[in-house]
Amino acid sequence: MNKQSAPPGMPPGTPPVLQLRGIGKFFPGVIANKDVDLDVWPGEIHALLGENGAGKSTLMNVVTGIYQPEEGEIILDGYGQAFASPQDAIRAGIGMVHQHFKLVEAFTVAENIHLGWDEAPRMASPAMLEARTREISERFGFPVRPDARVGDLSAGEQQRVEILRVLARRARLLIMDEPTAVLTPEETGELFRALRAFRAQGNAVIIISHKLDEVMEISDRVSILRGGRKVGTFLTADCTPSMLAATMVGRDIVRRNMRARPEGAAPIAADPVMQLRHVSVRDGRGVETLRDVSLDLHGGEILGIAGVAGNGQRELTHVLTGLMARTAGEIMLDGNLVERADPALFAHAGVGHIPEDRLRSALAPSLSITTNMALREYTSPPIDRHGLYDAKAAGELAHGIAELAQVSIPDFAMPVRNLSGGNQQRLVARREIRIATRVLVAAYPARGLDIGAIATMLGYLTDLRDQGVAVVFISEDLEDLLNVSDRIGVMFHGRLMSVIDAEAADMATIGLLMGGREPADLPGAGVRQ
Amino acid sequence: MATRAFQRLPTAPAGRILALRLAAIVLSLFIIAGVLALSGHSPLMLAELILRSTIGSRFGLEDLALFMCPLLLTGAAVCVCGTIGLWNIGAEGQFYAGAIAATGVALGLHGPAVVLLPLMTIAGIAGGMAWITVPTLARAYAGVNEIITTLLLNFIASLLTYYLTTGPWRDRISGAQVSTQRIPVAIPEMWGIVHWGFPVAIVIVIGLALVLSRTRWGYEIRLGGANPEAARYAGIPVRVRIISVMLLSGGLAGLAGMFEVAGTVHRLQGGMANNFGYLGIVVAVLARGSCLNVIPAALLMALILDSGIVMQTQQLSSSVVLAITGLILFMIAIGDELAHYRPLARTTTGEKTR
Repeated sequence: MNKQSAPPGMPPGTPPVLQLRGIGKFFPGVIANKDVDLDVWPGEIHALLGENGAGKSTLMNVVTGIYQPEEGEIILDGYGQAFASPQDAIRAGIGMVHQHFKLVEAFTVAENIHLGWDEAPRMASPAMLEARTREISERFGFPVRPDARVGDLSAGEQQRVEILRVLARRARLLIMDEPTAVLTPEETGELFRALRAFRAQGNAVIIISHKLDEVMEISDRVSILRGGRKVGTFLTADCTPSMLAATMVGRDIVRRNMRARPEGAAPIAADPVMQLRHVSVRDGRGVETLRDVSLDLHGGEILGIAGVAGNGQRELTHVLTGLMARTAGEIMLDGNLVERADPALFAHAGVGHIPEDRLRSALAPSLSITTNMALREYTSPPIDRHGLYDAKAAGELAHGIAELAQVSIPDFAMPVRNLSGGNQQRLVARREIRIATRVLVAAYPARGLDIGAIATMLGYLTDLRDQGVAVVFISEDLEDLLNVSDRIGVMFHGRLMSVIDAEAADMATIGLLMGGREPADLPGAGVRQ
Repeated sequence: MATRAFQRLPTAPAGRILALRLAAIVLSLFIIAGVLALSGHSPLMLAELILRSTIGSRFGLEDLALFMCPLLLTGAAVCVCGTIGLWNIGAEGQFYAGAIAATGVALGLHGPAVVLLPLMTIAGIAGGMAWITVPTLARAYAGVNEIITTLLLNFIASLLTYYLTTGPWRDRISGAQVSTQRIPVAIPEMWGIVHWGFPVAIVIVIGLALVLSRTRWGYEIRLGGANPEAARYAGIPVRVRIISVMLLSGGLAGLAGMFEVAGTVHRLQGGMANNFGYLGIVVAVLARGSCLNVIPAALLMALILDSGIVMQTQQLSSSVVLAITGLILFMIAIGDELAHYRPLARTTTGEKTR
């Protein structure tokens, strides 16, 4: 499977641009990469595919000199190389375009291109820098406006600047992390044309992507990573999207049905407690981060949300809890239209929220544990007594929450940041469960927890479900999602692709939906909307 | 990996801070004594003189209380603003605005003190609030940095005071320079020259500490300052809270100006704020964000100020006095930072700490 020989059509004796041999990179408690072999040949576009946490970014950070590998070797054009810094990698002709652009927004395009470049003239007028930039832009076929400020450019234009920055430094291997995530279809088309032109000059491209259709369209070969190891490298022509999806997620999933209700559990309510009708959200740059999402939440049911992180899950969570205003559509709470995004209104209506980044948005790290535990109930008795804050009652509440969460705390007056991430997560979860009488929105609640704690956390969710609460469970762990959810919605590019019955769901279908396949194109799986 | 023999704690225990601050003060006093001895002064004689004219005599204690009164209020003004995470650098300007408004009432209206004093108090508070209104609204609605706006308004308030005291409100009776005439009413004195503004300021500071720790509003302010995103998540209208806190802060500084006019100076004078607004920032920093700590911090600052005046009577130039003040505060800042460090046990050194 790991061919040592060149792909067809390569003159014999040509060494690969980049060869990785047995790359291993470890972090405390985590194997990020292990035994990764990879060959990238001149004149090829090589796609790197894998789930979140599969080790794609770590591997590329090793290639670009940001990390030093603990095992294995990097061979460029047949010679072994060790990069002590990203500058070494750039000098060796390896350039990376990150998903989040590393440009200075207040500078012009020309200034950004020349920033930190040792070939930039020491004394240069803006006109001279712009002339140089124009020449570079024409040479590589990426049109830019040299005198424009980067902050005024669209995402696609910013990306062209980023690519030119790399190409101007004579990169022969261009690494692109999720390049189309921020692009419109037209911009994607332009990018692909330019990448093909770059390839035609005998250069190589590594493209990291989750989008199966784009991988099929642009790449010559595909390598798939899973759990830090390479599963295999395939000629794209031999692949189908469903086969790629299955290989990407296809580990052994332990199906443990937690859907069974105990005696006396609340049934799934007939009327939805919360409804989204064609809800869309636009961010500050005008990009639609949530597109036309319609959704019903029923009491006594767990709705799982699957998808690669960054496909609108954050926006969905914030819309469901009143933290973000929608730009179109309607939200109904108990059949009443919600006029404006107001987190207090949602919390008082019984909507609890375990946010993705608890230390940043659910806790005040420098304040005491007691203060943090009172966050949801300081407005109601016994903590609130006619506008006064009863610290004693808050302390009792904090003790109660800590006991339920099974977190032992030596001193409730110490700042909450002194606790471990896992303990913070448990405390936030229990605090939110207390107010979640109607809906609980849990975003990645198992992140950072060990296996035992994950089981406890999932138990919290099913307990709430049995009490008749509607639970929204957002996760990137398909195993957890399949075990507890009644229905699973898949998000892609801000859209809710489909909501499928979890019992009948199969991994391949979810994988295809996560990769952006339209539900209509799927081979007749149990799809229901 | 480099060995690290010390670990930095995110929060420093109060006891260590107190101990290290005392050490810092003692150390800086030794340095000062050394330098003074080298330049031909007798440190012992100076020390005795300073002690006698500050805490060693009734007159000294009265002076100390008069210095403390405005420092308590401007310190509290900066401190309460800091609780919601904002810096009011403009207590100096709000002090002037309060002083001007109170003087305006005293000069423009006629009546018994029972009527005039409450009116002057309201005017002083309103003046301070008015002076911070533009920075407040700019901060709350447009995200304009309050440090710049409050600071710049200080110069306008200060120059406005000079204009009034040399122009329309100048003293036409005794002809005093850069001053209004003596205002007809005064805050009654309770102990020697110490007026009732002093105990009122103490009560205000204690009350403020209670409000911040024992009310729903105070809880929301603390949460908003510690993490605005979590405050939004909790459904707190952060913008409204910012407006209320900044206005309160301006009002406190304005009240300090009114007290100074009606209790201590008895007239509006150019330059009368005497840096009390800026020293309020120092007081708030020394108090480390706790309103109750403003009281000892204001006392320390008053002691330093008072000692400085005594030293100036002993032919030490005002720049030397400023340098001494700076040295003491600098040493305290070092002590505060050192309080965060804890030596690591021998066994764990050399291991990678993550």
